Amino acid sequence: MFRLQGSKVLAVDMTGDAVKAKNGSMVAYDGQMDFKKMSGGGEGIRGMVTRRLTGEQMTVMEVKGHGTCWFADRASEINLVSLQGDKLYVESSNLLATDAGLRTGTSFTGLRGASQGNGLFTTTVEGHGQAAIVSDGPAVVLRVSSQYPLTVDPGAYVAHQGNLRQSLQSGVTFRTLMGEGGGEAFQIRFEGDGLVYVQPSERNTIAGDV
Amino acid sequence: MGFREINSKMVEATVMPGQKLFSQRGAMLAYKGEVSFTPNTRGGQGGIMSMIGRRVANEDTPLMTVEGSGTVLFGHGGHHVQVINLSGDTLCVEADRLLAFEGTLQQGTMFLGSQGGVMGMVRGQVSGQGLFTTTLKGQGAVAVMAHGGVFEIPITPQRPVHVDPQAYVAHHGDVRNKLSTALGWRDMVGRGSGEAFQLELSGSGAVYVQASEEKL
Repeated sequence: MFRLQGSKVLAVDMTGDAVKAKNGSMVAYDGQMDFKKMSGGGEGIRGMVTRRLTGEQMTVMEVKGHGTCWFADRASEINLVSLQGDKLYVESSNLLATDAGLRTGTSFTGLRGASQGNGLFTTTVEGHGQAAIVSDGPAVVLRVSSQYPLTVDPGAYVAHQGNLRQSLQSGVTFRTLMGEGGGEAFQIRFEGDGLVYVQPSERNTIAGDV
Repeated sequence: MGFREINSKMVEATVMPGQKLFSQRGAMLAYKGEVSFTPNTRGGQGGIMSMIGRRVANEDTPLMTVEGSGTVLFGHGGHHVQVINLSGDTLCVEADRLLAFEGTLQQGTMFLGSQGGVMGMVRGQVSGQGLFTTTLKGQGAVAVMAHGGVFEIPITPQRPVHVDPQAYVAHHGDVRNKLSTALGWRDMVGRGSGEAFQLELSGSGAVYVQASEEKL
């Protein structure tokens, strides 16, 4: 069972079950715990090769045992996401821990990924259970519905879930080419029905420079 | 006396005549009233011998003595500050994590090798703490710095607690610590889970853990 202790520490109570977590993110535990690295994110040989090729490598460990285990990652804020059969798209670097019952995989993001500054691929998490994602500063969860599409700065995007279509929107004009852009040349537009997690900080992206 | 937390990164201390306060040099942010700050060449309490002890132990963080009457604000480097109140027991903490402490506390250094023998020394090296640590004993309050906030885990004889050495901040009470290794063949071939070394704390007391694996 995942619970937050403050906003920066994740406590997981375990009774013989397992969780997958980012390598080395354990800060403390009581009881009996076992740590095992899972090569290729625990997705088998195929997953391992895919991750190598796509640059979405994540080093994951499996934590199993009885007791409470505390996780934290460089004092970044943690958000809990509960999944009921839907799919969560998140950058591998922003994924802290998932229930062992959740499946992880990679998916192609197209041009959006390049503008976000974190590659053309992203990690997907699906199934029933809980996942913990980290963000630089407390993230806001924005709901997208069919009447209300949402546009997000690629550098501030953390994750999204639900039935969403995404497209890259560009605001490149004559002024941008002249070097007079507003620094918001690209945005991701989400349409459909779902949730988008946005952090109050921007990664360095190509889009932020123009 | 004691420390009052203004926000998560700042503490306010009230200084009264005849009551001393020690703080890390340069950690004063603002003060009200008549307060004087004197650099403490001896790096803390005790005589010449304890000064030499600290030099040798590399635990001689520059301290200053705060005296007078008024209120002083302390903070350093934007780190989170945690106030720990001691009532007669001993707190073990790294010298560079100490922000300020009351003069009523007895300061000392502890050789880690004396707790756990050779493994104690290995422990100090692995956790980057060196072979010595600072102890504070008595009645009073201590302000300790940590990266990203601190949480406290109680230790009871039935439930020993394991802590990542990099996330360890301080502990108090009657606690024995030892380095436990979970080294397997996986670590030898570079396939470790990144949790090969852990501090095992057993006894009764509490350990303070920070929400980050970065040293100060």
